[in-house]
Amino acid sequence: MKLPIPGPRLSAGLILVALLAGCASQRPPSYVVLLPSPDGSVGQVIITGQRGQKVLTEAQQGTWLDGGGAPFTIARTTIDSDFDAALAARPLIPERFLLYFDVGGTVLTTESRAVLKQLLERARSFPALDISVVGHTDTLGRSSVNDALALRRARYIAGELKRLDAKDMSIAVESHGKRNLLVPTPDETAEQRNRRVEVTLR
Amino acid sequence: MSNSLKIFGALMVWSLAAVPSICQAQAEPIGYVKTVKGSAWVTTSGQRVPAQQGTSVLMGSQLKTAAGASMGVTFKDDTVMSFGPDTELTVDEYLYAPAKDQLKLATRLDKGTLTYVSGVIAKLKPDAVSVKTPSGIIGVRGTSFMVKVGDAE
Repeated sequence: MKLPIPGPRLSAGLILVALLAGCASQRPPSYVVLLPSPDGSVGQVIITGQRGQKVLTEAQQGTWLDGGGAPFTIARTTIDSDFDAALAARPLIPERFLLYFDVGGTVLTTESRAVLKQLLERARSFPALDISVVGHTDTLGRSSVNDALALRRARYIAGELKRLDAKDMSIAVESHGKRNLLVPTPDETAEQRNRRVEVTLR
Repeated sequence: MSNSLKIFGALMVWSLAAVPSICQAQAEPIGYVKTVKGSAWVTTSGQRVPAQQGTSVLMGSQLKTAAGASMGVTFKDDTVMSFGPDTELTVDEYLYAPAKDQLKLATRLDKGTLTYVSGVIAKLKPDAVSVKTPSGIIGVRGTSFMVKVGDAE
């Protein structure tokens, strides 16, 4: 059985994996490997190529990109040697913060003032900071009033973020008024968890 | 947050508000370069610029790293990608307007190494996210993975 000619970067671990899998693919060393998501869950990837279709469902499971052969486990050392540079270049995973307000205005709750401080501190870690700020209200009052209030809340938070004066920072500010409740309530209901600004740091 | 549906809902309305600007211009950034080591480039509509922190990525952009270089990009839907040395990836399609059910993230990895953490598009419409490689297509069902495309034969 003729083995594939290893490319210069084909690691010993991958050759071993290829042998164990009984795979004498003529393809160059091209494969995909599934990882846990940042939240710890493991999703799926589906590979469709000339030689078939494969579904990966477990972390560290890999398969050839042409869809042939059986999926195999990729050794940690192989992953490290193939992807160390790419992994080192991975940007921070975007983070979402919820800031809550006292009724009817732009005064943050005591707890959320602390969260805002954390948020501002975290924001400094993101290069070329790209922020989305979305304001919300509870269902007390008319829609037009709530649209304006949610916008004032979002602008207040955006103003705090702008004080960071970070290089290449971009901020998108939106108001959803009472149209996007975090906690569903009837109309004319005070609900602190709905009086909020959602901030995503990218 | 346990209430992720609400967040999606928020994003849907957010993008409804953003629809007029999408109609006006293809030229809206869909993401930004966040990390660069060594020589890397972003080529959009034939214009090649050296990649730096903050360089805009647009639909159709080709992202390229030199030997020994690496780069990371974060997209507007929170998808995060990074590239190892001697890598070429093109963003063929990027649509992020959930309220109009316009969701698509189609990329093409011609060579090199890619790490991928999927974002909101994959959560809302898993069928809409793919990475094309010379030998097969990867469908992304809301997850994290890595791909290596070796040198052509």
